[in-house]
Amino acid sequence: MNLIEMNSICKSYRNIGFETRVLKDVTLHIEEGDYISIMGPSGAGKSTLMAIMGCLSQPSSGEYLLDGEEVGQLNDRKLSRVRNEKIGFVFQAFHLLPGVTALENVILPLVYAKRPPGNIKERARELLAKVGMEHRLHHTPGQLSGGEQQRVTIARSLINDPRIILADEPTGNLDSKNGIETMKTFDNLVKEGKTIVLITHDLEVAQHAGRIVSIRDGQIASDSDHEERGSIHSL
Amino acid sequence: MRIFENLGQALRGLRLNRGNTFLMTLGVMIGIASLTVIVAIGDGIKVKVLDRIANMGFGPESFSVIAGAGRMFFTRSKNTVSMTLEDAEDLLALPTVRLVVPRQRKRMQIINKKEFTSTRVYGVTPDWQLARGWNMKDGDFLSDSDLDRKKRVIVLGATPTRKLFKGEDPIGRMLRLQNNFYEVIGLLEEKGLTESGYDPDDRALIPLTTSMSRLTHETHLHSIKVVTLNPSQVPETMEAVRQILRRNHNLSVLAADDFRFVTPEGIMQWVTESEQALNRMLILISTVSLLVGGIVIMNILLVSIRERVREIGIRRCFGARRSDITLQFLFESVLVSLLGGVMGIGLGLALSFGLKRFDVLPTHMTVEPFILSFVFCTLIGLVFGIHPARKAAFLSPEESIRSQ
Repeated sequence: MNLIEMNSICKSYRNIGFETRVLKDVTLHIEEGDYISIMGPSGAGKSTLMAIMGCLSQPSSGEYLLDGEEVGQLNDRKLSRVRNEKIGFVFQAFHLLPGVTALENVILPLVYAKRPPGNIKERARELLAKVGMEHRLHHTPGQLSGGEQQRVTIARSLINDPRIILADEPTGNLDSKNGIETMKTFDNLVKEGKTIVLITHDLEVAQHAGRIVSIRDGQIASDSDHEERGSIHSL
Repeated sequence: MRIFENLGQALRGLRLNRGNTFLMTLGVMIGIASLTVIVAIGDGIKVKVLDRIANMGFGPESFSVIAGAGRMFFTRSKNTVSMTLEDAEDLLALPTVRLVVPRQRKRMQIINKKEFTSTRVYGVTPDWQLARGWNMKDGDFLSDSDLDRKKRVIVLGATPTRKLFKGEDPIGRMLRLQNNFYEVIGLLEEKGLTESGYDPDDRALIPLTTSMSRLTHETHLHSIKVVTLNPSQVPETMEAVRQILRRNHNLSVLAADDFRFVTPEGIMQWVTESEQALNRMLILISTVSLLVGGIVIMNILLVSIRERVREIGIRRCFGARRSDITLQFLFESVLVSLLGGVMGIGLGLALSFGLKRFDVLPTHMTVEPFILSFVFCTLIGLVFGIHPARKAAFLSPEESIRSQ
């Protein structure tokens, strides 16, 4: 079954009378456990696609089924819950709350969870240990290096045990050593059964994924999956 | 509970944005401080006046007539010389009157060799003691013969006794007032300081006749205290007194009284009226200053939200609903307002204490301003917080997460 099923998604923004069509008829299906990269030059619509995929905005038209649920028409309350329970975000600029300790940053999604588990702190500690941050629990983002901050964001994205990890240029602000570390973490998460969507313009990063989708001018220009299947059919 | 989670996030937000938090509290703090001080002053004046009434020695069956027209508690319009001993005698002739105490009063120095003190010296008649119901600690009160013979004798209250004699036995000793020596014949029982700091023991009594001829060199009275047989007779007696005095003073029908009545009810009424006027002013001032405080909160919160767009975006990404964001910022504004209120009460208490300590104005603390402030602050926080909070909640998560 497809975990993410986007059919003919269009998104346009209206700005002082001008309508900008950012996504034009995008159809994309992602199965549970997939490891997929979305590539494309800047302005191609990657971030808008991610925003829709992450339920941060809704498509102008088209159908988006997430885990079998039509989320294109949900109200704010339900949409927030979908974000909270099914999606973990990792950002290029980390987006940790400033002045708040690593531990509390990791806990943040549970603040808004409908049924937070009892042992919140224990769980956050475990996750931070998993990303090798057990020695920095009470440091604030300002006291952490870029690589450490990214590890905290990964722990945060995992705290509510989401099905999907959406990572927007996760290595963009990191040096190559930390970048490789981060990608290793993602590789391991896939082995644990998470579905990972990477958005990047770095081919080396994109190649970690088993499937590469490239976007150009708001449309899917190529999809390695289809090509493979196509090539299988052509055999 | 979600609401407590949001409260926690609000507290964290305030702690992390200390600068803005402090600025936001300022307006409310000043408003609440002024409210506290004004309430304290109002209550202080009321307590002082009520206390004075209680210590004027008024029973429900008595009232005072004070020479000179004008309003109660204000300086006489002019020095009125029309009230005399004859008036007092005429009043005593009224059937409903039990006692009449004519009185002169002057503040002056009393000297015992090298010791001296300034006190209130009253020229009174022997009936003063009956009218006041004040017992003697030692010696005798003034007698009719002291009065008839204009004797130079003096009865002391506890305060001048302590200052002049320092433990010696004062009875029979001679004291100097101006250029005359007076023999101490009696000591009044001590009553002690009243709550507002008025000292009823700070007084000395001499015969009225002696006061007239040797001390004030005046034949008119400053006041007359009238005690009726029965409290219910006070109004009719007052009317009778008014007519006698007007007739004796040859006042025409059109002329205003050249005397005024002081009754416990009259004072109470005056206090109540002044208090109402004061309360109206208080409501106006505090409303204006708290409105200003609220606007300050609203504006700084709006600025603060612009600075924290990213934070809002992050929260939204990880599952915060619009209502969570609204609640968080509403809590922030209410908490800030309450914090301002607490600081305002602190400042107000300090100011009130200072005013009292340095004798600028009497102040009195009640629980009233605390409750008022709590209610006001919560309201201000809610009313002026809702606009910024909604604004924050309706930011687009997608755009706010991308903002730099």
